[in-house]
Amino acid sequence: MTAFRRLPQGGRIDRRKPVSARCDGKELNGFAGDTLASALLASNRVLVGRSFKYHRPRGILSAGIEEPNGLFTLGEGATTEPNVAATMVDFVDGLVARTQNAWPSPDFDLMAVNSILAPLFQSGFYYKTFMGPTKGSWMFYEPFIRKAAGLGKATDLPDPDRYDMRYAFCDVLVIGSGPAGLAAALTAGRSGARVVLAEQDSGFGGSLLSGSDAEHESWRVACVEELKSLANVEALARTTVQGLYDGNLAVLVENRSHLRPDAAKGQPRMVLTQLRAKAIVMATGAIERPLIFSNNDRPGVMLASALRSYANRFAVAPEKRTVLVTNNDTAYDAALDLAAAGVAVTVADHRASVSAEILSRAGAKGVAIFPNTGIVDVEGSKAVKAVKLGGAHAVTIECDAVGMAGGWSPVVHLSSHGGIKPKYHEAVAGFVPGGFASSHFGAGAIMGTFSLSAAIAEGSNAGASAASQAGFGKTRPVYAPEHVTDRSYAILPAWAPPQGGKGKAFVDFQNDVTLKDVKIAHQEGYLSVEHLKRYTTLGMGTDQGKTSNINALALMAEHRGITIPEAGTTTFRPPYAPLTMGAIAGRTRGPHFRPVRLSPLHDWHVKNGATFIDAGLWKRAWFYSWAGATPETAYIKEMELVRRGVGLADVSTLGKIDIQGKDAAEFLNRVYVNGFARLPVGKVRYGVMLNDDGIVLDDGTTARISENRFYMTTTTAQAGEVMSWLEYLLQCHWTDLDVQVASLTDEWAGMAVSGPKAREALQLAFPDADLSNEALPYMGVKDILVDGVTVRLLRMSFSGELAYEVHVTADYAISLWEHILKSAASTGIKPYGLEALASLRIEKGHVAGLELDHRNTLDDLGLGKMAGREKDYVGRALRFREDCQSPDRWSLVGLELMEPEKKLRGGSILFAATDEIKGHGRGYITSVTWSTELNRFIALGLYKGGLKHEGEEIIAAFPLKNERVKLRIVSPHFIDKEGARLHA
Amino acid sequence: MLERRSALASATPYVSAALKISERPGFTLTQVAGPEAAISAVVGSLPEQVARAQVNGGRTIFRIGPAQFWIVGPETDDTAGRLAGQCAVTPLSSSRVRIALEGAPARAVLAKLVPVDLHPSVFTPGSVALTGIHHTPVTAHCTGENAFDIYVMRTFAMTVWETITDAALHCATHR
Repeated sequence: MTAFRRLPQGGRIDRRKPVSARCDGKELNGFAGDTLASALLASNRVLVGRSFKYHRPRGILSAGIEEPNGLFTLGEGATTEPNVAATMVDFVDGLVARTQNAWPSPDFDLMAVNSILAPLFQSGFYYKTFMGPTKGSWMFYEPFIRKAAGLGKATDLPDPDRYDMRYAFCDVLVIGSGPAGLAAALTAGRSGARVVLAEQDSGFGGSLLSGSDAEHESWRVACVEELKSLANVEALARTTVQGLYDGNLAVLVENRSHLRPDAAKGQPRMVLTQLRAKAIVMATGAIERPLIFSNNDRPGVMLASALRSYANRFAVAPEKRTVLVTNNDTAYDAALDLAAAGVAVTVADHRASVSAEILSRAGAKGVAIFPNTGIVDVEGSKAVKAVKLGGAHAVTIECDAVGMAGGWSPVVHLSSHGGIKPKYHEAVAGFVPGGFASSHFGAGAIMGTFSLSAAIAEGSNAGASAASQAGFGKTRPVYAPEHVTDRSYAILPAWAPPQGGKGKAFVDFQNDVTLKDVKIAHQEGYLSVEHLKRYTTLGMGTDQGKTSNINALALMAEHRGITIPEAGTTTFRPPYAPLTMGAIAGRTRGPHFRPVRLSPLHDWHVKNGATFIDAGLWKRAWFYSWAGATPETAYIKEMELVRRGVGLADVSTLGKIDIQGKDAAEFLNRVYVNGFARLPVGKVRYGVMLNDDGIVLDDGTTARISENRFYMTTTTAQAGEVMSWLEYLLQCHWTDLDVQVASLTDEWAGMAVSGPKAREALQLAFPDADLSNEALPYMGVKDILVDGVTVRLLRMSFSGELAYEVHVTADYAISLWEHILKSAASTGIKPYGLEALASLRIEKGHVAGLELDHRNTLDDLGLGKMAGREKDYVGRALRFREDCQSPDRWSLVGLELMEPEKKLRGGSILFAATDEIKGHGRGYITSVTWSTELNRFIALGLYKGGLKHEGEEIIAAFPLKNERVKLRIVSPHFIDKEGARLHA
Repeated sequence: MLERRSALASATPYVSAALKISERPGFTLTQVAGPEAAISAVVGSLPEQVARAQVNGGRTIFRIGPAQFWIVGPETDDTAGRLAGQCAVTPLSSSRVRIALEGAPARAVLAKLVPVDLHPSVFTPGSVALTGIHHTPVTAHCTGENAFDIYVMRTFAMTVWETITDAALHCATHR
């Protein structure tokens, strides 16, 4: 019966530092240096969970990142992290762990009824049962099935931990710190190159950490000490390279959970590093494969290498007797070390003969070897009671644990991320990298080099080559320990199990995929391993099939009668190991989710009762508390203020561009559809620009400050777009033009002073300036000095009223704004926000972002007549293509609500009065507002055929709220059609 | 009387014994483009590469494009006036906020923010990077062994300040 014990001495644990944690509410004791998995085994807690589908009892399988069974939920409440492999968790004080996928407990799991219903759950069950005519029943059964199957559950609570992201650069990145990785890092480090050594484990040494040879250990210690003494080497433990990308970008994730970091003090739980390396050495090692036989998933059946790790590294071993089953020589490392720890060992070897050297060493330690023998079945349910051997030695042996040694699969994930498929290596019986990019190198077990001295030599060479690639030619190699006797591998793979077992034989432990499932997939006609994977879910667990993929594709190849290379592997994609979403999000969450852009007047708005609204990245003043508590009421008061008195609005978000040079006028003349060549100094002009496809890009104004200098404004939304467009045209198309452009959006603040009393207000603010209609007419521009500061007055109007824009360098914005409000207080001037600003322009019929949606032509917007007939401009050629000239295009109309008791909504779909209310209609409402002038809802919209239908009564439908209202199509200019107010 | 106001006037100050993060106001920033001879006649020699800054007396000159320069001078500086008419001159003093990081952890903090190799042997005093913090363009200038000036866009200054001080939270004095 499976039982484990802590050995009285040895291991890398620190027995002077006892550690206490909690697992399923019970105290769990261990030592510093333990993992959660080793502490569980040391406490003889062998059963650690239930399997995904069948709820079969499961125990720890491995001692590394490949662990499919021993998955736990760590933490409590908001810090809950599900599906963490116990083999990768440092055992630290305060650790809280829970088992998963079992209710009420792994030991007494009611869900195990699934095991009885097993025939229902084999591959294809869901596809066959819930597709076709019975598809509807899936909706009913899904919640139950999802509850019964699955792994841990994530929390919905916000993660209180902190995750940092950083950028890093180095000459040589070495991935993995086994013998090859240590040799590579040290050789590269000795050259003076900047080296990063990334190790997923808590310690450096890879397989050496699980070994028992004193000379190997002193070699490891010497390497690590020298690496740590080199200032140019950064050695990172608990750091997994999750992916390799183009440009030698590696994504590393360091787990610092064991430090119990305090987020409030800025300490991250994980750090994601985007590392750019000039050269990369992959020394990622290999993962041992299980063997497939009946009941090979019973708790106590483990990888042989894991039994060795637990014995040598963690001082945990099976109580009395272990049976190892192998197809290669590496199992004898485990056999000899377990025997040394006082465990009785029997090795069932699939091969007909074993080398004399092994026989003599094993004999000396009392290890029994049964050649030509395999495991037929395992007895016991929640633990191993005995194994039934078959073949030459068909006996049943009572034992505590079983070690499987099915050969080693090189870890070729990272070498495959760039798109190079791995290739099959016959002697290794596994896939090795199919090649490397010129700055990538491989060394050690990843290459199929399993012997120690060869791996070290290969690592040292790869380190030297990588350093040389990065420009560091001179180095000193690292040599293997003097007395290394390289052990042979001599694998003889037999993928299918011996006959005779009656229980399930698992290929993929985590996703409960059995030998039979692979066979069914083949019978169903799934030929590709990619299809095998999707059909059976093999390799789709959190472990991504690290222990199962090669066995599965080999079985698939056997069924199909093809070779393993012909079957090929599935595609390796990042991340290499399961990754907490928080590590990917980093600090880009909450208030840091995206950048926030603030007007130079922002602080004033905050202090003076503004409510803000997001407009792109900007926070814009939406409405002010003086006008009301809700936008619905406030904006109407603010509109009335502008129509009857004077208001002040922040328009600093407009794009502003400085354009200068002797060809500036010519440049603008080409960019805008309307003429700018002859714009007089001191005047502003409205302009529209097109993309080269003839679609409207943006509108705005440009003022001529002097002969060769212009001041352009763009819409808020397109500011960046227009700036890039102008730079592109100058740098790529019109390099002959003498023009320089510079963004002034951040340099200048803007404020609109609008309303019949606008001139009066400005005159009070700037008593020395001549603001008469003659001195500053409509569409005039004038710079004045206020306290030595240049203030630019542009007489133009978005609202349709007498209005000015007052621009000043941003540092002075709040001071000037306050000055205007204070000195013009007698006019009743008050601030108005974005909602009123955007509503006033609807009454005037000015198009804005909602209409300029990159789908409309000049003619759609009623601006076709603006375009110059004699001159050329960007977009002219394609503006006249057939589709852009179609009379049926959706074009700009004004809309008036005919039913005063109802409401108009933006986005409503427009239909002719006789249309069936169905589909996309004939257009939609772009902008809607209450008109304080007309006392009704008005809107702008796009309608098929546009103003050809002026006067017609149509229908606006808002299906989400099941609303329909009657509208009339009118001119989009609702007020002051002749422009008297503008010129007042 | 019109008064200047910093974009960071309402920012939460950063306090740390090891690292100073502060706004360094009081500069004139002039962007110029045009014949290099005319520019260097006024401000002295020009940096040859975009990645380096040139300090001439009280002014620091950055090459921000093939034939574009930033001249950062004292709070009152007549550079713009002296260059007017000879090249394209755009005053930009209000458009950028200068945030300084000084102290041993400065490089590690900046490494969380900019995708630039900040190794002391690479990003040496005088080095410049036109790069980005939190999706916004910034110009980073190494002014000393562990001292940096970061020029950020004024309208993004608050968001960048919060990003930088958050990245440096582990060094902050916690009350």
